[in-house]
Amino acid sequence: MTNDQTAPAAVKILIAGGFGVGKTTLVASVSEVAPLRTEEYLTRASVGVDFLDGVDAKDTTTVALDFGRITISPELVVYLFGTPGQERFWFMWNDLVNGVLGGVVIADTRRLDTSFASIDFFESRGVPFVVAINCFDGMNTRSAAEIRAALDLDQQVPLLIGDVRTRGFGRDVLLALVDHLMTPALA
Amino acid sequence: MSEHWSERAAQEDDGAESMVRPYTITRGRTAPERDDLTLITVLTTAQDAAETGRRLQPEHRLILQRCRRPAAVAELAADLDLPVSVTKILLGDLIAQGLLLARAPLSVARASGGGPDLALLAAVRDGLRRL
Repeated sequence: MTNDQTAPAAVKILIAGGFGVGKTTLVASVSEVAPLRTEEYLTRASVGVDFLDGVDAKDTTTVALDFGRITISPELVVYLFGTPGQERFWFMWNDLVNGVLGGVVIADTRRLDTSFASIDFFESRGVPFVVAINCFDGMNTRSAAEIRAALDLDQQVPLLIGDVRTRGFGRDVLLALVDHLMTPALA
Repeated sequence: MSEHWSERAAQEDDGAESMVRPYTITRGRTAPERDDLTLITVLTTAQDAAETGRRLQPEHRLILQRCRRPAAVAELAADLDLPVSVTKILLGDLIAQGLLLARAPLSVARASGGGPDLALLAAVRDGLRRL
């Protein structure tokens, strides 16, 4: 393929986490456009048999990806992709990790277990990530240390607590990721 | 199981119907012919694209219009309201005809075993701080 150097270069950041945890909300808080939605097919071959439990006999179904963008400069665009965390979607993540800078795992302290798969994915693929604890309306009742223990999180993985609806928190989460990526220990 | 669409397309060698039709492709077969298009591959319409493409489908024309300003595969799929894999097939048609130019995502150094690209990260950081 020709590689057109006149177009902006693109990189992406993956925003992962369980259903309803605030992935698209975080994307919306920092994106320069309202989050866009795109769909990709899930086929029998790609998801295996387990996925078909409870699914009627259709050959394909689709999974939606919400994403946004931040134009850094005329030469560089960062795309933010909300990513379903469940293992059954991991086949799709092989495309998603292409050009990825790093990841954000959003977690809800009431349902921390829904974040395990996302953390596992990033760890298994060597994708650096930060964890953002989303507490709508300050509903967090657990300390950072408790959360780290519950998630079995490496000490060097940044953990932030805030409200993903606010642009300030979204920005801080992404900045924490970039700072994390720049730390010599990761190099 | 029926034959793969790409095999069928290859058999149609008269040239009159060489364009693969997306809605026949979508019936359960979703693999684009080329595997180098990613969600964030950036597409731009070639300068001379306006003069060619007589047999293009409406979706192809929409893509060429849209890509006068560079756009990523995912953005085009969202704009066209088509699944990503179908969009990739249409984009592949246009790239093969030289009507569309593609730019691959930056290969992020860590993934290829090197250290982080500090200049890239610094640029991203500066951009985020302006949010």
